[in-house]
Amino acid sequence: MRLITKKLLAISAVAMFSTMNVSAETLRVGMECTYAPFNYKTADGELAGYDVDVAKGVAQIIGAEFEYVCQEWDGMIPALLANKFDLIIASMSITDKRMEKIDFTGPYRFSTGQILGAKKTEVNLFDDAGNPIPENFKGLKVGLERATTYSDWFEQTLPGAEVLLYDNSEAIYLDLQNGRVDLIMTNPMKAHLKFLSKEDGAGFEFKGPVVDEVEFFGIGVGIGLRQGESELKAKLDGALKELINSGDLESYAKKIFPFKLHKDEWGQ
Amino acid sequence: MNFDLNLILESLPQMLAGFGITLKLLVVSGILGFILAVLLLLMRISGKFYLNWVAQVYIYVFRGTPILVQIFIVYYGLPQFEAVRESFLWPILREPTGCAILALTLNTGAYVSEILRGGVLGVDKGLLEAGSALGMSARQKFIYLTAPIATRLALPAYSNDVISLLKSTALASTITIADMTGIARTIVAETYAPYEIYTSLAIVYMIFTLGLQKLFGVIERYLGRYTRREE
Amino acid sequence: MEVLTGWWDDYLWGAVIVAKVFMASLSLMILFGLLGAGAKLSNNKLAQKIAGAYTVIFRGTPEILVILLLYFGSAIALTAIAKIFNPDVRFVDVPPFWAGTIAIALIVGSYATETFRGAFLAVKPGSIEAARALGMSTLQTFIYIRIPEMWRIALPPFGNNMLSLVKDTALISIIGLNETLFVAKQAITVTGKPFTMYIVVGLIYLGFSTLITLSVMGMEKYGNRTTVGAR
Repeated sequence: MRLITKKLLAISAVAMFSTMNVSAETLRVGMECTYAPFNYKTADGELAGYDVDVAKGVAQIIGAEFEYVCQEWDGMIPALLANKFDLIIASMSITDKRMEKIDFTGPYRFSTGQILGAKKTEVNLFDDAGNPIPENFKGLKVGLERATTYSDWFEQTLPGAEVLLYDNSEAIYLDLQNGRVDLIMTNPMKAHLKFLSKEDGAGFEFKGPVVDEVEFFGIGVGIGLRQGESELKAKLDGALKELINSGDLESYAKKIFPFKLHKDEWGQ
Repeated sequence: MNFDLNLILESLPQMLAGFGITLKLLVVSGILGFILAVLLLLMRISGKFYLNWVAQVYIYVFRGTPILVQIFIVYYGLPQFEAVRESFLWPILREPTGCAILALTLNTGAYVSEILRGGVLGVDKGLLEAGSALGMSARQKFIYLTAPIATRLALPAYSNDVISLLKSTALASTITIADMTGIARTIVAETYAPYEIYTSLAIVYMIFTLGLQKLFGVIERYLGRYTRREE
Repeated sequence: MEVLTGWWDDYLWGAVIVAKVFMASLSLMILFGLLGAGAKLSNNKLAQKIAGAYTVIFRGTPEILVILLLYFGSAIALTAIAKIFNPDVRFVDVPPFWAGTIAIALIVGSYATETFRGAFLAVKPGSIEAARALGMSTLQTFIYIRIPEMWRIALPPFGNNMLSLVKDTALISIIGLNETLFVAKQAITVTGKPFTMYIVVGLIYLGFSTLITLSVMGMEKYGNRTTVGAR
């Protein structure tokens, strides 16, 4: 009960002191908690990953207390709009479509997608210029997470493809291995680290180039917040820039990958 | 709270496009579940302790665990084993619809079998004695006396279970099936308008439920036509 | 089994949350059920209508939709109400624990309404008349005659209501409560072993169901202690 009471207190505190200075606030952060290696729970019950490190870094700089709320991906924006939490730090790409409803800080990570399939699925999905060839997708089932940049890309670029929509990203990997789907589109960094480099991923490979059209993938991944909170947005932007310029953001990435996941110019 | 009526009008036809899948899940697993329930019932009243025992454990497990967990075990759990992926069942288990129907059938079979057993136990002993006195065999008594009366007695509880089954089909959306709920979730994910979409979908389900209740009401009256007193 | 290393304590905490949600929603479910039954049995037309609408809505809508609507809708609705009294309020929120608890209590409460109503109507008029003849007051009759007899009749269906309640807690993982099914999802992210992880969830629920079934059996024995030998 203690945790719940604490939560209740914190929430009512936010409700009651909504006009108070941002720096003294408790902010609630929404994330999936099942999106390794960016945000997930370890066996110790600790939240870990790149998004979590970013959140902790930002919290320290702006001097706020962050509380984490686990939310299924397809309800992430509705939950933010319903005041279930105040920030989304969940590897969410800054797209125009989302900007209609919510606000974003500047980017803190690249946003890209790549198609993954079994090695034995021998088909050229893209031409030499890197454009998808719709006919070659015929008869192939594609597994995508619902309401993602990937599902948007498929809907717009390849409207005829046979798409199955999943509730979370882990499930598409499981079903690719099970053979229920022939292709998935996913974050290439995650795919490489959590799948291709492991025993389970031995029979699979990338089936095309990295896709990062700004129209679908935005300028990168940012922190989402409700519209009209410009004071908070400025603080968060400042904090992200500080993380970039101090080299902390690079160190978060290098805990997981041998390279950084951002552009230094984002710190300008 | 401002309610966007246009959005509802736009998305209702899209959601109703999933009605066929919802209906298919309901009818197919309803029929298969009923067959399973009869088999379980026959096992329970067979008088053979090992058959009775297996049926009881089955019913206990499937009534004692959430349907959502059963769906996840069938869909995500079973393919963890290579043997399952190479078995003759894989063509069914490979398809999300096959998995949903299997899980719903296994679940509803356990419930319906208990409902049918309640009906069988409710048949008046005197009637069966009368049957024996007329020289009917045990099989004849079951077919001509127990079965029709038990069906009538079990019908009200059975109609409740069919409605539960309808509500459970909404969970198929968690394993990629684009039934009414699955489509609604995709629309919500695109429009970020959960209240409008989910409220209108809830009304669609309610109308469907009321229709089912009316249908069962008609069947009940038909089966009970001999039990009404002449005015 | 070694894949489960490190996850046992998470499952334990998940089970604790299931137990908490169950206990909280059980009290609310009894409250809603009694209110619903009271309204349906009352002579007040309006109360009857409201209770009727309550049961139609919550028995006819898939559980997952009720939970999602309450989770997303409650904050907006409460904020709108709070703003009437105090325009400075930015928002009022209902945490997932209470949104989920209230949602499943409302759903199962609609079934409990029928349980309680049925039990009230099933009390034999003869028992009440006998109590009157003995000079008992209305209150005394209610406490000493009606409640014990209702209790006995209501227990088996009430036991089923409790089983539904505990199983519906599995749906709360959808709104991010850290219960066992959510633990399984997290564990699968790390271990990639869905069958093992979901089976553990199934076993935990089977444990809860067994506890409930055993306690209902115990209570039935207690409730029936005076009827033993009377048949």
